[in-house]
Amino acid sequence: MSTIKKLRKLIDIYIVFLKLGSVSFGGGFAIVSLMEKEIVQKRKWVDKETLIDIFAISQSLPGAIALNSSAFVGFAIAGIPGSIVALLGNLTSPVIIIISLTLLFNRFRSIPAIQAAFRGIYPAIVALVAYAGYVVGKTSIVDMLGFFIMLSSLLLSILFNIPPIPLILAGAFLGITIITTKYQISCKVNKYRRGDD
Amino acid sequence: MPLLLEIFLMFMKLSLFSFGGGYVMFPILMREIENNQLISMSELADVIAIAGMSPGAVAVNAAVGVGFKAAGLPGAIASFLGIAIPCAVIVIVVATFFFKVCKHHLVKAAFYGLRPVITGIILYASYKIASTNGIFLSASDSLMENGINISAGSTHLFELKSFLIAIAAFLLLIKTKTHPVLIIFGAGLLGIILF
Repeated sequence: MSTIKKLRKLIDIYIVFLKLGSVSFGGGFAIVSLMEKEIVQKRKWVDKETLIDIFAISQSLPGAIALNSSAFVGFAIAGIPGSIVALLGNLTSPVIIIISLTLLFNRFRSIPAIQAAFRGIYPAIVALVAYAGYVVGKTSIVDMLGFFIMLSSLLLSILFNIPPIPLILAGAFLGITIITTKYQISCKVNKYRRGDD
Repeated sequence: MPLLLEIFLMFMKLSLFSFGGGYVMFPILMREIENNQLISMSELADVIAIAGMSPGAVAVNAAVGVGFKAAGLPGAIASFLGIAIPCAVIVIVVATFFFKVCKHHLVKAAFYGLRPVITGIILYASYKIASTNGIFLSASDSLMENGINISAGSTHLFELKSFLIAIAAFLLLIKTKTHPVLIIFGAGLLGIILF
């Protein structure tokens, strides 16, 4: 009996995430409000605070936020099987759609109108990626130092062709160094001030 | 190395290092493809364009597209697994043992430096897509034949029509929050008219 119940729950999870994955154009943050509606309001599988926590944590893990948060919510509902099922559900229709579109494109790529359409789409993709950078930058660059780090990573990529992974690791290291140094300096200043008084 | 294993490992690596969301995968993906030549850079631009039109996380879509282009259905499955397995493992481990780790001050400190770097490399990815598709600052071998190319001396500055589309799309995204899918379809129509 309970096995059947568990199985039914897993199927439910799969279907909900299949739905979420099929409509979440734009990925990432597009899924946030959809998930809130489906999982918190409609099914009451997790409460809103947990979902907010899950999004916060998903952002600090590597990988696409939409996938991380899906796997997390799946885990919160039904443990390891839940997380795998959520992930599969989320990815099912994008995979099918991508493969079909690629096949369609391969078949019709020689048509001049299709080529012209893609000529128009490339610059839009440039803008979309730049916009993603803008959105991340707006929330993550909080001071001049941050701006300087951003500029350095951009220039190191363009001028010296430094690969992204070492830059990411250097960024993490730099962040820890800067914050710990700041903290130590402020401790010393506070001590000095207290001594003065 | 067998092709499918190569694809799987490439996306596993991508999945493990893309801190800060899916878009960080683009610069990493471009670098990997420059090195291993699984598909050409112009094919990559097609894949990214198709990925933007489909539902789901754009970077994951692009990954599946690359796998499919490079090795057909098995390639798509290899890239899918390469993305999904690390994700599942990391989330399960974190959810079971380290729920609090992510709120730890060291993690926060790391992100203080990480996020600006990510901003920089995402902007770089945008520049790279532009320059390999003859949109701006392109090498002479990637220029468009029927474009209006503006140059300063021997340096290519930009191709007028694409440049205007890019600027218009960017402004629409920032000012009106137009949905990305609408932007892509609009740009496709403009492309049919202009090119």
